Amino acid sequence: MRNAIYVLYLLFIFFLIGIGCDKKLDQTNPNALTTGQSWKTSDQAFEGVTAVYNALILDGTYMRSFVGLTDSRGDDFLGESPWLDLVLTGQFIIPTNSAPVFWIWRDLYLVATRANQVIYYVSQYDESVLSADDKKRILGQAYFLRGLAYYDLATTFKIVPVITEPQLDPGQYYPPTSTEDELWNQIISDLQQAEADLPVSYVDVIGPDQGQIGRATKGAAAGLLGKVYLYRKDYKNAATQFEKFFTGELQGIYSLMPDYWDNFKDVNENNSESLFEVQFQTGEGTDFNWTGEPATSWKTVEAYSVTYGMEGAGFSDYLPTQWIFDEYKKEKTVDGKDDPRLDATLAHYDPATGDTLAYGRSWFNPPDKIYPKKYTTDGLGTPYETPEEGINYRVLRYADILLMYAEVLNELGRTAEAYPYIQQVRSRANLPDLATVKPNMMQAQMRDQLAHERALEFAIEAQRINDIIRWGWLYTPAKLAELKAHDPDFNTWMPGNEYLPIPQQELDVNKNLLPNPAN
Amino acid sequence: MRVLTRASWLFFTNCPERERFIIKAFTMLLCMTMLQICCVSVFAQSKTLTGSVTNEKGQPLSGVSVTVKGTPVGTSTNNEGKFSLQVSSDNGILQFSYVGYAIQEIAVKNQAAINVQLIPEATALKDIVVVGYGTQRKKDLTGSVATVNVAEAKKVSTNDITGLLQGRATGVAVNSDGQPGAVPSVHIRGFSTFGGSAPFYVVDGVPVGTSIREFSPEDIQSISVLKDASAASIYGAAAANGVVIVTTKQGTKNAPMRVEYNGYYGWDNVWQIIDVTHRVDYQTLNNESRKNAGVPPFPANDPSGADYVDSIDTDWQEEGLKTGTRQNHNISLSGGGNNSTYNIALDYFDNKGTYEGNGPSYTRYTARVNATAEKGIFKVGETFNYTHSHENTLTFRDDILLGAIPPMIVNLVEAIPTMPVYDPTAPNGWGGSNSEFNGANSLNAIAVNNLFVNWIDLDRTFGNIYGELQLLKTGGNNLRFRTSFSYDKTQTRDYSWVPEFYLGKFYSNVEARLNDNSRIYTNLAVENTLNYDRIFGKHSIQALAGQSYRENDVVLRESSATGFSQPYYPVIDQGESRSSKGSEYVATLSSFFGRVNYSYSDKYLVSATLRRDGSSRFAPANRYGYFPAASVGWKLSSEDFWHVSKSIVSELKLRASYGRLGNDKIGDYLYQPVVNTGIVYPFNGTRVVGGLQTSVGSPNIKWEERAITNIGFDGTFFNGSLDLSAEYYDAKSEDVLVGVPIPATVGSINLTPVINAATLKNTGFEFNVAYHKTKGKFTFDISGNLSTVKNEVLALGGNNEPIYGTGAKTAIGGEVGKHYGFVYEGIFQTQDEIDNHASQFGAVLAPGDVKYKDISGPDGKPDGVVDEAYDRVYLGNAIPKYNYGFNFSAVYKSFDFTLFASGSADFLINSRMYRDIHHSAGALNYSTDMLNRWTPTNTNTDIPRLNDQDVNNFKDSDRPGWLQDGTYLRLNTVSLGYTLPKNIIKGLTSSRAYITVQNLYSFQGYKGYNPDFTTPDRFAIPGVFNPGYDFGSYPKPRTIMIGVQLVF
Repeated sequence: MRNAIYVLYLLFIFFLIGIGCDKKLDQTNPNALTTGQSWKTSDQAFEGVTAVYNALILDGTYMRSFVGLTDSRGDDFLGESPWLDLVLTGQFIIPTNSAPVFWIWRDLYLVATRANQVIYYVSQYDESVLSADDKKRILGQAYFLRGLAYYDLATTFKIVPVITEPQLDPGQYYPPTSTEDELWNQIISDLQQAEADLPVSYVDVIGPDQGQIGRATKGAAAGLLGKVYLYRKDYKNAATQFEKFFTGELQGIYSLMPDYWDNFKDVNENNSESLFEVQFQTGEGTDFNWTGEPATSWKTVEAYSVTYGMEGAGFSDYLPTQWIFDEYKKEKTVDGKDDPRLDATLAHYDPATGDTLAYGRSWFNPPDKIYPKKYTTDGLGTPYETPEEGINYRVLRYADILLMYAEVLNELGRTAEAYPYIQQVRSRANLPDLATVKPNMMQAQMRDQLAHERALEFAIEAQRINDIIRWGWLYTPAKLAELKAHDPDFNTWMPGNEYLPIPQQELDVNKNLLPNPAN
Repeated sequence: MRVLTRASWLFFTNCPERERFIIKAFTMLLCMTMLQICCVSVFAQSKTLTGSVTNEKGQPLSGVSVTVKGTPVGTSTNNEGKFSLQVSSDNGILQFSYVGYAIQEIAVKNQAAINVQLIPEATALKDIVVVGYGTQRKKDLTGSVATVNVAEAKKVSTNDITGLLQGRATGVAVNSDGQPGAVPSVHIRGFSTFGGSAPFYVVDGVPVGTSIREFSPEDIQSISVLKDASAASIYGAAAANGVVIVTTKQGTKNAPMRVEYNGYYGWDNVWQIIDVTHRVDYQTLNNESRKNAGVPPFPANDPSGADYVDSIDTDWQEEGLKTGTRQNHNISLSGGGNNSTYNIALDYFDNKGTYEGNGPSYTRYTARVNATAEKGIFKVGETFNYTHSHENTLTFRDDILLGAIPPMIVNLVEAIPTMPVYDPTAPNGWGGSNSEFNGANSLNAIAVNNLFVNWIDLDRTFGNIYGELQLLKTGGNNLRFRTSFSYDKTQTRDYSWVPEFYLGKFYSNVEARLNDNSRIYTNLAVENTLNYDRIFGKHSIQALAGQSYRENDVVLRESSATGFSQPYYPVIDQGESRSSKGSEYVATLSSFFGRVNYSYSDKYLVSATLRRDGSSRFAPANRYGYFPAASVGWKLSSEDFWHVSKSIVSELKLRASYGRLGNDKIGDYLYQPVVNTGIVYPFNGTRVVGGLQTSVGSPNIKWEERAITNIGFDGTFFNGSLDLSAEYYDAKSEDVLVGVPIPATVGSINLTPVINAATLKNTGFEFNVAYHKTKGKFTFDISGNLSTVKNEVLALGGNNEPIYGTGAKTAIGGEVGKHYGFVYEGIFQTQDEIDNHASQFGAVLAPGDVKYKDISGPDGKPDGVVDEAYDRVYLGNAIPKYNYGFNFSAVYKSFDFTLFASGSADFLINSRMYRDIHHSAGALNYSTDMLNRWTPTNTNTDIPRLNDQDVNNFKDSDRPGWLQDGTYLRLNTVSLGYTLPKNIIKGLTSSRAYITVQNLYSFQGYKGYNPDFTTPDRFAIPGVFNPGYDFGSYPKPRTIMIGVQLVF
């Protein structure tokens, strides 16, 4: 009996020890804030919106692949890389399981869904924590960034799901594909909201974001909204938007830079011509910002400079077409020289015009080869390109506002009124007065003229394919023949393939998702 | 009593920090109290005992130590093997010990004369099996426990103890590649989880987590593998992958110091050569590929061009592979006094790999001290093991060597012959390539392995101290208390240095980088157990109750620097830009457990186990798990009605068990989503740090559970010469954590958050047979084992969306990682054939291209288009259906011989290396098989045409060679030993010399290196979903070793 008591006593001690140890089972994560503790302070609201911008500098967004795969589909550019995805995208035969295509999808949705978090949580902030002005500014940026993300998704994939709230419950993880109208209406609504909420500049705002140039502004939202209306062929609303830059509240805010090249350098960034640019910077951080869980050790660099960089100085994954080179040569400046935009856009060897250098050295490639120069470090004093550069990506420029407004006027039948806006862009390139050299163009002629002007002004700026799509050229036999002549990649184009295919892995996972015409 | 209460209160309130320090004090307190209570009755009257001791053959043994257990009283036997001893009580126990024989204990009771027959240690160990928290007679086992003949297994040279299990432990699949220091992957009874499959390792009773590489195989005394729930559930939440219990060598009581040296030296050679083309054939093939694509040849390959390379013809395998070496030296000192034992060992293992350059290699130093001491009712013991290892790994940095780079052994095989190894004109002196000139960005892997410095320095200190107290030893009651405290700390320094280099523009680095990281793993365990056993009449009871607390702490620190100027001083301080990271993870586990074994009349055996675990890894609602198990056994041959002669059936036992096990090997803190507060963006050059939630969490995460049913029998036949056992298991894993793929539209960085969603089932048979025969001076043993495994996926969670690997699919109704792809229909011979066939991926096809079957379409029938969405099917299983091992050992006079072979059968392998050198696009090197590619004049072939723009032929499919039969039988060990006569040198008790050939040959159809490769996690796909994808495992070398074993 006594033995049994000892055994029981020992077992009781075990029990006590065990229960004591059970208290040690409450372990809190020592490494990070848990979600229950976030969206409480004013600082957290500002930090939230900053984190949305970070999704713009990933491989699938403006760091590399979105830019490259959009450019490669234009008639001014083609893939020339051992990495077949880059080549096949340009040829419109990219497989649905292509990795970079998936990255674009994934990273654009990162922008949209992070913006959703900001909109959802910051809307609930009490004014005692976050002032009304601060709240408007933060929400405005989130709306802009979401609008931009869906705009890029719409132009790249045509139809995608529209998600506007945080998906807190796993039941919300499988959204259906929205219609094209729903998608564009969401973009319009977001940009309208952004335009209403955003300041014209951050120089004088009161708050932790004071002076933080590069955040989304009223001008960025207004301009992008105009572009959206134009893409939707809603010329009336587009005109209203663009007029704000000439007669409305945004009058005098923007102007063309005297030197066209200033728009593509790592100096003179966020200049007077720039409505919105994605910010890149070298020199800090140790881990690349390709993808993954962000950290303070991340670099904030872009990789298109090295991707576009010529043989011997970069990866030379893409080449310009001969057509775009020839197009620049068509019209001389008033003093009989080549269009200065040629030298800012393309690297080529021509002792006659003094173009004998590349990357500060004497030309080191075959003399007949041409390479991209825009958005590379060629000529910027960097002797060799490294895989990390810091040229900001100009998403929307004032030159685009001018040419889009001209296009809107032409579409509204006010062709004559379009001339001065086009000429502003031409004059910066020192080209003769269009009203003199091609006076009294008819609407159709003016369309062709605008297409030519846009090709030269915006070559290799990740929007040529969007113009080709919205002008319907691919479905116009004569225009399609022209495109094939410009760029042999169009020989393998098949109807629908002008978009990137919806990634196969997304279709596999989300049964509510529809394929698009490129699948 | 009040003291005790207070002491326990201290435990209650301060566990565990203070527990570490007061545990010993408490134990002593407890001991002292118990001493007063329990030990009063032990010593009483005295009497004289006599007896004799014989060996297994009945011959008298002289010099045998005879002691009264727990007292200093003792004597030893005389020349006739007889002894005489005064004992104080009938309650005493006599202990007989003699070198080479198992210690035997006999209760004095009322006997006046005791005659004892000692059993040689090897035989004795065979009969005793180490199980969780104790030992059991093998013939009493009712659960499934695999044991390994350690002496035979050690004839394999391996850096990891689990290497000893391959082909020897039935139901245990061990895969490994040939890199020095490689940690094998171990699957016990199939694929039961998508997380780590490593079993739970217990060394000398101490849970040590998932790696035992730091313990030397030479120090091992025994290995048991607990496979079913009955055997393993005492380890509860840790046991779902099975438990491997390792015991290290102990000293022997009353024995003079025994000095033993075991050592070998060996040479490693890669014996498999992968035939690739030399320059002329390479250039011919590549030019043809360019021509077929309508593009000009690359300058290096164009015979008509100025840059034609005709003076370089590198044989990369010849240049890159060398003879490696391996050696192991182990000295152990062991012995003991009346009341103590010790075993001290020093071990050195060194394996220099077969790759030219800095790695791979692995060197390990181990020091181990085991000791026990006892007095009366007290016993204390300790195990201390210290290891230092240095490993040079054959890896490199994905962020510098861009692209989906395979392991460097594959880079070596597929390197182009027109690239030189050395180039005196290049900045580093190493040759390189570039895609414009050579057509391929071919990696000079020899250069990388010389330029990059990667090593891991590891220090592991493992210590365990335990105390035992014999609380009761009266009237057949035997109650023991044991408290054990262990501390296991592993520290690593992970060093990676990459200088500036230029190996062609794609593989270049303009900024030297250094990573100097450290990891610290601390495992602390405190366990208290009570063991009770009692025999009364025909009843025998063994009971165990215990409490356990474990704490695992992981600290990760990373420091990196870039921008070093030459001459290099590769330390962090010398880098221009430096950064550091750090994080910490703590996991705790608090448990109770108990077990009762009951047997009646030594015929009917019953065992029941229950464990309760609480884990910090789960939210409070899911925190606790209960893991019960029960088993029964019936010794049929002991029944009165059993009339079969013992000379035919010596013993026969039937057994069955059922129970549940848990698995908590998942990440920490997963149930709480976190906010990433380090999200940077440079506004006009000013870095601003933002933060929000970047990944979805897994709030409802809980244990994985595995329910196992096991039935089997153990039999001994023909007077013990034949052992046969067979069993069947059905193991169902539920709530298996699986990264259920979620759409990227969720906006989570982690697109496969884990949830308890999957159900996996494994069933299989296991057979063991062993035959022993001694005829005069010739003795031999033959043993074999065979296990089958059938894996089935029953659920995957979410929409039960399949999980895709590389040419693999894991889906309901199939197996984990089943091969998946297009169905090969031959090669197009004419354009007409192409025109009449479905289109394939939009590819521009020509005769000579692979033809795939148009299986289905959006409407459920063939749609004239072969595409990813509708035309892929299962192409075969990736998990071997059969694993087997065979061992033959024989002794004739002084010679001994061992032949050991093992293998797997019935599975298919997808080889990255094979596919890489059978490409039709691109310009890496080609297999010589490609000389037989389709051309208009060579149409009778199954190798398609070359086409530099190919998007068709390379698809995952069952085209010949794309999936290869993995069945193999490897001659792992052939060993011949000679034992020299005793005392040829004075003091040398025994000496043996041997020569062993390891990995002599592998009968395999597989055209890669190792059919038993391991699959790493790559590109966010855990290796478990690619069990049949050989990403490029390092070849297992053929090793010739000579060794000696000396005992003084």
